[in-house]
Amino acid sequence: MSKEEKVLKKKSPRNAKWGYIFIIPFFAAYICCTLIPQLMTFYNSLFMNYRDGLTQVGPKFVGLQNFVKLFSPDNSGTIGILKYFGNTIILWLMGAIPQIVVAMLLAVFFTSYRLNIKGQQFFKTVIYMPNLIMASAFSMLFFTLFSPVGPVNQLLLGAGWVDKAVDFLNIKISVRVLISLMNFLMWFGNTTILLMAGIQGIDQSLFDAAMVDGASSTQTFFRVTLPLLRPILIYTVITAMIGGIQMFDVPQILTKGIGMPNRTSMTVVMYLNNYLTTSKNYGMAGAVSVVLFIISAALSLVVYSSLSRQYKKPARHRKY
Amino acid sequence: MKKKLTAILTASAMVAALCACGGSQPAATTAAPAETPAATEAPATEAPAAETEAAAETEAAETEAAAEESSEGKVFNIYAWNEEFKGFFEKYYKVPDGVTVNWIITPSDNGAYQQKLDEALLNQENAADDDKVDMFLAEADYILKYAGSDATQDITKIGVTDFSNTYNYTVQAASDANGVVKGVSFQCCPSALIYRRSIAEDVLGTSEPDEVQAKLDSWEKFNAVAADAKAKGYYMTPSFAETYRVFSNNCTTPWVDADNNLQFDPQIEAWMDQTDEFIKNGYTLTAGIWDDEKNAQMFADGKTMCFFGPAWYFNFCMGNAQDPEKGCSGDWAITEGPAAHFWGGTWLMAPAGTDNPTMLADIMNTFINDEEVCSALVENEAQFSNNQAVNAKFAADESYGNEFLGGQNDVAVFSAMTDNIVWENHTIYDQLLNEGLQNQMQEYYKGSVDKETALKNFYNYVNETYPAIVTPQ
Repeated sequence: MSKEEKVLKKKSPRNAKWGYIFIIPFFAAYICCTLIPQLMTFYNSLFMNYRDGLTQVGPKFVGLQNFVKLFSPDNSGTIGILKYFGNTIILWLMGAIPQIVVAMLLAVFFTSYRLNIKGQQFFKTVIYMPNLIMASAFSMLFFTLFSPVGPVNQLLLGAGWVDKAVDFLNIKISVRVLISLMNFLMWFGNTTILLMAGIQGIDQSLFDAAMVDGASSTQTFFRVTLPLLRPILIYTVITAMIGGIQMFDVPQILTKGIGMPNRTSMTVVMYLNNYLTTSKNYGMAGAVSVVLFIISAALSLVVYSSLSRQYKKPARHRKY
Repeated sequence: MKKKLTAILTASAMVAALCACGGSQPAATTAAPAETPAATEAPATEAPAAETEAAAETEAAETEAAAEESSEGKVFNIYAWNEEFKGFFEKYYKVPDGVTVNWIITPSDNGAYQQKLDEALLNQENAADDDKVDMFLAEADYILKYAGSDATQDITKIGVTDFSNTYNYTVQAASDANGVVKGVSFQCCPSALIYRRSIAEDVLGTSEPDEVQAKLDSWEKFNAVAADAKAKGYYMTPSFAETYRVFSNNCTTPWVDADNNLQFDPQIEAWMDQTDEFIKNGYTLTAGIWDDEKNAQMFADGKTMCFFGPAWYFNFCMGNAQDPEKGCSGDWAITEGPAAHFWGGTWLMAPAGTDNPTMLADIMNTFINDEEVCSALVENEAQFSNNQAVNAKFAADESYGNEFLGGQNDVAVFSAMTDNIVWENHTIYDQLLNEGLQNQMQEYYKGSVDKETALKNFYNYVNETYPAIVTPQ
């Protein structure tokens, strides 16, 4: 064994050790900031623990009682948490579908060297801009814009399109559209940039080959870009979904925290917030969080497996 | 070897930094969107521990010494929900040399102010002296929660003992069940019917307060006049909840009974009946009491005759009416209206464990007993002070008049109303129950739900907000 080989053999395990040491910060942060709080949430959800005025009630172990309460129908026969999950999913889909479609189109346009768009840097900055505004400020802006005496109504009234101010914030569909619109505006820039990075990572020669073979733009997109973009797309969809399920600030501010009208724009986290803010009801809030966690995990798995299955098994019958 | 050492140091510094971030993150009151719900909880339970242990040791030694002025804290923290008192404080109170006053202002919507305050008060013992709450403001709707708890202290022990000039209800409100006084109010808040003179002239044929009062001194008359106002193209009130306080302050039962069952007082029912009628007939608007739509009615081109509110309301909340261009200052007057009531009021409360008791007592005494300051509040700020002698002086002064009210002597009107104010039937839940009921009923009045659903939504809201309250099934 030469000296160099000896050194190498000796060094590699030591280097690995340093590798482990350098990833300690991430794991330490993960354990401190994510894992322990998560376990604490599970633990807390088994207790009756809240504040009545300034008096602490509990913690008293109550088993699964909080969960039973969460899933029992209220005085009008609806199971609150399911309704709010429904709201959340609807609000998310209304924002996320256009978000991903538009972002995909923009990403393809921006990366296409046949189109060769000038001033890309400028456009990229502009579409990313809404993401820099604080969501609550954005929401407050929309609240003022669309209030019965707000500028939008003044415009509509001024133009004679309506006879009476439209109460946008008290109509189910308009509230939902406004919330989705805000989420869309805030996030499509971010998604565009992620997808662009994904497309740029695809070997240019594949596009060239497709072009030489006479593939149309549509064919190139569906047969080359999309399959190769799948890992990034999965990432985008899952992160968007987790963000969507946790939707809070935009609807909270826009609907003054009550999810008007008739609680149809109340999301799960707004519901959780109701338990947590005034009474510090860690038991019930913990139970909501646990349900939220389970559902997020389940949905992520579904999305991941359904999108990656095709990726692993490319269809053989297609003729290229 | 050196390299190794550097690497170890770097790695451990990174770990330490990350751990520190996790540990001392304060309990967020406005939760960030990206945080997972699970993550928002843990910091609240473990946050204070790290930084406060050291403070706790020194604190014990210092509380005793704090009785002497010389050793009192140099930072005075005041918790409030708006800028109203801050303005008066900065104008009329001379802060002792070397003391810095910090204002921690959180809006009261959805109980945000109470949350912030609760966190601070519950952490009071462990907080460093300069971070302790030294005074906080509380409103009638939730003063009981603080006055009745150990978080506040007996102000007669720190040197506020003279209540001979204050109005009785203001002292009662700030006292606990045993009559121990925990704070003082710098204002007395009988609430009046505030009407537009020009509209009253058109609808009632007079704008003189006495004559207007004679035509509006009962709910029957008030409701009948609403029809006349409507016929002439006016609204009687600008918000479905405008008369809420007039009813709710005359409740004969509290919001919850002895067993914590939620109950609707006949007065609240009466408010709903009246409002149903008003909305159906178009006598009022579906805007909430703080909505822009309602506030727009205060402009000169507004179409509303009657508002309800105490002195602070037309001073602090009717900015639109005072707008030099679009407003209509001088076109207003006040009278008692259909029922005596009060609304709100700001109490200065003494938190237990403050390190500035002398200054705290001094502020309280200044705002209730210093004749000069109380007079200035009336004269310059159009407040109705909590000093009967000062108010009596202005009430008797024929040259005194409020420009906004067309020269009417508002102090005289309010003085006559104070005897009818009663402080009873309050609970620690009042603010969010009053606010919650109005929010839910607004959906009904706007037509998006039926009344039954609105009430069910209210019960759901109560269940989520206050687990201790039992709602009807």
